[in-house]
Amino acid sequence: MQKTFHVPHTPIEQFTLENGLRVILNEDHSVPVVSVAVYYDVGSRNEREGRTGFAHLFEHMMFQGSENVPKAAHFQYISNAGGTMNGTTSSERTNYFETLPSSQLPLALWLESDRMRSLAVTQENLDNQREAVKEEKRLRYDNQPYVNGFLRLFEMSFQNPANAHSTIGSMEDLDAATVEDIREFFRVYYAPNNAVLSIAGDFDPPETRSLIDKYFATIPSQQPPPPVDVSEPVAVAEQTDVFLDRLAPVPAFALGWKIPARRTPEFYALSLASHLLFEGESARLYQKLVKGEESIVQIQGGIDERRGPSGLFIVVIPKPDHEGTHIREIIFDEIRQLATAGPSAEEMEKLRNNLFNAAVRSRQSSLFRAQQIAESALYDDEPELFNTDLQTYLDVTADQIRDVVAQHLDTDNRVLLNIEPSAEEAAPAAPHEPGEPDQPTAPLPQVPPSPDDAPAGAPLPVAQPQPIESN
Amino acid sequence: MQAETFRREMPSPLAAHPLNLPVAFGTTLSNGLGLVLVEDRRLPLISFRLAFRSGDANDPENLPGLSDMMSHLLSEGTETRTSRKIAEEIERLGATLSVGSTSDFSTVAASSLSIYAAEVLELLADVTLRSTFPQNEVDLARENTKQLLIQQRAQPNFLASERMAGVIFGTHPYSSISPTEEMLDALTRDDLLSFRVSTFIPNSAELVVIGDFQHDDLMGRIDELFAGWDRGDASPVPSPALPKRTERTIYLVDRPGSAQSNIVIANEAITRTSPDYFPMLLMHTILGSNASSRLFMNLREHKGYTYGAYSNLDARRLAGTFRATAEVRTAVTGASLQEFFYELDRIRNDAVSNEEITNAQSYLSGVFPIRIETQDGLIDQIVNIKMLDLPDDYLRTYRDQVNAVTTADIQAVAQKYVTPDKAAIVIVGDAAEVTDQVKPYSDNIEIYDTEGNPKDSVG
Repeated sequence: MQKTFHVPHTPIEQFTLENGLRVILNEDHSVPVVSVAVYYDVGSRNEREGRTGFAHLFEHMMFQGSENVPKAAHFQYISNAGGTMNGTTSSERTNYFETLPSSQLPLALWLESDRMRSLAVTQENLDNQREAVKEEKRLRYDNQPYVNGFLRLFEMSFQNPANAHSTIGSMEDLDAATVEDIREFFRVYYAPNNAVLSIAGDFDPPETRSLIDKYFATIPSQQPPPPVDVSEPVAVAEQTDVFLDRLAPVPAFALGWKIPARRTPEFYALSLASHLLFEGESARLYQKLVKGEESIVQIQGGIDERRGPSGLFIVVIPKPDHEGTHIREIIFDEIRQLATAGPSAEEMEKLRNNLFNAAVRSRQSSLFRAQQIAESALYDDEPELFNTDLQTYLDVTADQIRDVVAQHLDTDNRVLLNIEPSAEEAAPAAPHEPGEPDQPTAPLPQVPPSPDDAPAGAPLPVAQPQPIESN
Repeated sequence: MQAETFRREMPSPLAAHPLNLPVAFGTTLSNGLGLVLVEDRRLPLISFRLAFRSGDANDPENLPGLSDMMSHLLSEGTETRTSRKIAEEIERLGATLSVGSTSDFSTVAASSLSIYAAEVLELLADVTLRSTFPQNEVDLARENTKQLLIQQRAQPNFLASERMAGVIFGTHPYSSISPTEEMLDALTRDDLLSFRVSTFIPNSAELVVIGDFQHDDLMGRIDELFAGWDRGDASPVPSPALPKRTERTIYLVDRPGSAQSNIVIANEAITRTSPDYFPMLLMHTILGSNASSRLFMNLREHKGYTYGAYSNLDARRLAGTFRATAEVRTAVTGASLQEFFYELDRIRNDAVSNEEITNAQSYLSGVFPIRIETQDGLIDQIVNIKMLDLPDDYLRTYRDQVNAVTTADIQAVAQKYVTPDKAAIVIVGDAAEVTDQVKPYSDNIEIYDTEGNPKDSVG
């Protein structure tokens, strides 16, 4: 059944300007469209206590004008040129991106360079965007069932405040942000030597190189930002807590494990293990619980991928009259089974084909390519990872998956949060994190907050209206 | 800051490159099944979509949500495969298979690496033609959907959509947006089987394929799988007139403790094939389709009331709406209505500027190729064209149609379809906090609970 398959190589060119800006080019002329992504090495992991949500609030300020671009004109320029744009903030980084007709590449470079070199911050604009961010928080977190409970799970999972707090932050901390804070943050983190510029699509490389030089080369570099400590103590015992949710119509529970950082051998193997446990309708836990026992309505799980200690989560909504304790026993049994017998040959074939399919399908979009390549350049200084990472996943063996599940998931090193409907306001826990508000039938937020699938803090809602859609 | 004067002005664009629209091969099998095949060899991928001109609007009156339930259950068992076997076969190929319905049509979609095209198309055909709706799967779906109905009622945007659809569409089939508890209790296996047989017929279907395939091989495979499928008779969808609105009314769904008010201001508007479609599309782009439109600039960038304020042009086969929406903090619910009505009046009363129409035309023309960059993007467009009876040259002439619209056309459709004095204003929020704020905007206020029942008073 398994056929041999070769993924086409994506050509990537990289160079660094004298000011330290890393530049990545991926030329592809299939559609007259170009995508530009600028990634800054700053996210909620860089926030200090009392300033949670700051990296994301700052991201909004990047659309509020610079020396030669008035407030909100960024939106206007891009739309009027026939483009789309957005930005997102995660624990790891803040990104800004636009996709345009390829003739409009100079516009994108002009806009991105102007805000990199000369962001203009006023009290009035800060107050305005603070309100927009608070509404974003209400929309995606505070007015949704289960979402704030899920954020509580992060706080339980991580002990280091750099990891434990959410990207959206708290209302109090948002209120405390000042214009001076914004200016200082800009100086420290928004320097060319702390950023990657990535361009994918229909462009002419020599012409593009000279445009990049023109717009970016004179932006001065800065001292490197202070290092971040994201180290975590190893947890030693199960932690349990209850979250009272006044919007939740029925109880739910969430389980979380702390796992090793991205790009470790353990992380690759655990990603594949998580696929076998809860991705798709053939997944072990779906077949066991939604089918089989018929004890739950829905199960969602995922991996929170970070450069430091990362997370693996499962969220379950049981049916009425089904005990969480019993459901969790089934989950732990299934994990134990994977930890002793390992994946079957059929499951390994499934992983292989899914890896190929995902790798090829995602390459269609110039924006996806620009973003993924930028991320590898930013985190690893290795843009070619876009091409080579697939093989690392393919090389993971069934035995490695078995062993890593035994070592990291079949343990007492986990957190359990019971989310219970309540007429009361939620307990002292801080609120936060992403949920896709446009899907009335999805009871659970799109957990976990993978920065790529569910941007934690886009300045705009993620779904843009289609030009010729029926609804 | 410094003397780089080139930074002061927006740069001129480079030479534009033409968009080469992919060439589609179209034909019809003898049983009436339409085919659209687009060869795309950029990557070793293939995407299939089998679309039927039958959607939620075709649900029998006593079984609202039947299309939805059939979509959900189609891949839960066939004559030769169990639910589990289907899921395992698809996922072992790294492929996807999904079924869904909109108001006007239903689709069975599949995609995979092109090396698995034959296997995936066979699975797609099997669930479409030979699904059996096993009793245990029907019972499970019934129970799980009842739980999902409970979850839906916790979502403010579901409550807003439900109330809006009921108010605007009245007795029209578009008024129902979800199955009901009674429907789920009544639903049988036979209902599903006979609905599939009567609505999934080749003569009301189009199979769209985009990807890396050999034409003759694919045609041979399609013939093998679909040529023996018998024609049927499509039954027409009843389309009663929508309730005539004579005044502005507020429909307040009381959600105590709500952190925001979800506001939807709606009017009846156009069908998808209306000659007013392109003027409406331009009007919508200027008023509220994106982050540079008037509503966003006003309610978010100036007032800071919301994360986003937009308009929505919802043009379907039989009827449609035009809506303005935002989720705002409770305290500014009334103030937001003031800004909404300011903008709705303005687009009616004053012609848009030449600059605005040029920008909107440039936006729509520019984002067009971005939408068809991927196989899924292009297949969405082709399916819409086929299912909503748009002309075959729609993609080729789209930009000309956009550019032909004038400022006078825009004002004419705004005056015709944006009618604030007859608008339905749906608000999902905390009635105790909101009622006094919204009173100035209408004397007619109806209050509902989250179950959809009328409420006499707030408390």
